[in-house]
Amino acid sequence: MSDSEGAAPHPYVLDVSTLVAIARGDEGIMNLAQTLDGQGRPLVLPVLALTAASLDARSDDADELLEGMELLEGAMTAPVRDTEQALALAEVIARTGLDPWDAHVAAVADASVCPILTLDPDKWREHAHDLDELLHFVEIADPDDT
Amino acid sequence: MSERKARVTVTIDPSLAAYAERLVETGKADSVSAVVNSALSERVERDRRIRRRWKEITDRADRGKVARMMAHIEAQREQLPPSHR
Repeated sequence: MSDSEGAAPHPYVLDVSTLVAIARGDEGIMNLAQTLDGQGRPLVLPVLALTAASLDARSDDADELLEGMELLEGAMTAPVRDTEQALALAEVIARTGLDPWDAHVAAVADASVCPILTLDPDKWREHAHDLDELLHFVEIADPDDT
Repeated sequence: MSERKARVTVTIDPSLAAYAERLVETGKADSVSAVVNSALSERVERDRRIRRRWKEITDRADRGKVARMMAHIEAQREQLPPSHR
């Protein structure tokens, strides 16, 4: 670990694009999630992003793949737990103009000070400065494909 | 399962407890414990099925491509402020 010695690694917040790829059974992205988990990197699953991924695929098979994410050792769902979080989400929607599921990803990343793991970096580049603190993101891509 | 049962104390939703008791009263289950045992067994089987499916899919992944994506992620991570690494 190159950063603070002995500290647990920061989680990645998975966005809709990443979860859609998993719901569609993309073996590379699923293997990547599994590899990150195997390395002890916690993965945060905003529940509204899971909803969006399920809506995209609309099949029991896809839902099972999404449920499989929760079976990874270090994966955890991020709910909209209470009134305070619901109102904070509304604030992010209002400030960013994002869909509720994308805004939930942004809200979770902002509150937890974690980077977003995404296949859609353009979206987060566009909205990186919308909140008080900069939203950081990490792009999933194979450099050999570009 | 032939092994000795473990005794545990759990709290469940009143409606689910009532449903389990109805199953027992109508002879559809031997006991509330049997209902809970059966539900947990189904959950275990479901999780196993999902894990198998994940394994079947991820085994087909191009390892080289995944390694390159991991390296790309790691390179970006090193550029993040320490608060986000």
